[in-house]
Amino acid sequence: MAEVEFERRLERLFGEAGELPDAAQFAERVERRLDAGWTARRWLIGAAGVVGGVIGASQLMMSNVVQRVETAEDSARLLSTGLTHMTPRTDWMAAVSSGGSVVWIAAAMAVLMMGFVLTRVIGEI
Amino acid sequence: MPGSRHSRFASLHDVELCTHAATGERRAFGELVRRHGSSVRGLLRRMGAQGAEADDVAQDAFLAAFERIAEFRGEGTFAGWVKRIAARAYLRRLQKERRIGAITAEQVDVDAEGAGGDAEGRIDLDEALKVLGPAERICVTMCFGAGLSHQEAADALNLPLGTVKSHVKRGLDKLRTRLAPADGVALEGRRGNG
Repeated sequence: MAEVEFERRLERLFGEAGELPDAAQFAERVERRLDAGWTARRWLIGAAGVVGGVIGASQLMMSNVVQRVETAEDSARLLSTGLTHMTPRTDWMAAVSSGGSVVWIAAAMAVLMMGFVLTRVIGEI
Repeated sequence: MPGSRHSRFASLHDVELCTHAATGERRAFGELVRRHGSSVRGLLRRMGAQGAEADDVAQDAFLAAFERIAEFRGEGTFAGWVKRIAARAYLRRLQKERRIGAITAEQVDVDAEGAGGDAEGRIDLDEALKVLGPAERICVTMCFGAGLSHQEAADALNLPLGTVKSHVKRGLDKLRTRLAPADGVALEGRRGNG
């Protein structure tokens, strides 16, 4: 019983640590390190996003995308001509058949998306 | 305004501050450091870390706590949680610098190193801890200061459970002897009041 009491007293004594005179400075140092870490992380995430975007864009450019766009454009044109004969023309189809700009916009959005996803993934890590 | 934000946080409970910190609010965590920094640094000093080293480990422990703040569920106290992180971080540092072996092997002759007390024979815990060998001091501080179980302390120290238990037992015996006068005073006081 006395042993348990002594152990409790010891725990209490350990818990009764007085405040050190430089407690405020210590807290400021920790906050500064937190801020520095946060800034570094933001820069890292931003840089990774840019690098991811550039890599994505370069991959698209390197994979004969221009040629494919032209082929897709021709196919779209053929498809739209065929569909015009089959069904009444709609605005949606007109947008698709309006040319390669749609594909370019989609490609740009894909690059942006990749950058965004990469940024989020690194942010979560 | 940073000042008003600090004062806003100053009135919050630790658990509320942890909730804010978990959303990335660094000022809320700063308030927790202001409240508990001294006790964490004190614990490390009691484990045997020197001033600057204790502060380094305490800083690292608080940064680690901020990173893992979502893991803190408020089941125990925030201070206790950070103390456990700090104690383990200090042991890792000792192991990395290969100092742990020397510490756990070293013994101090109790009678040769008497702790000084005040005029009434009362000595404080820090003075009493000085009579303990390094291994006893670390084991006792980890179990009674950081709140680790014997098994957790044994795992952290890479020592057999039995060895940790005997270090703790020897350490407690020495502390009991050193802190006994205050016990007597406390008991007499209680009897007097009752």
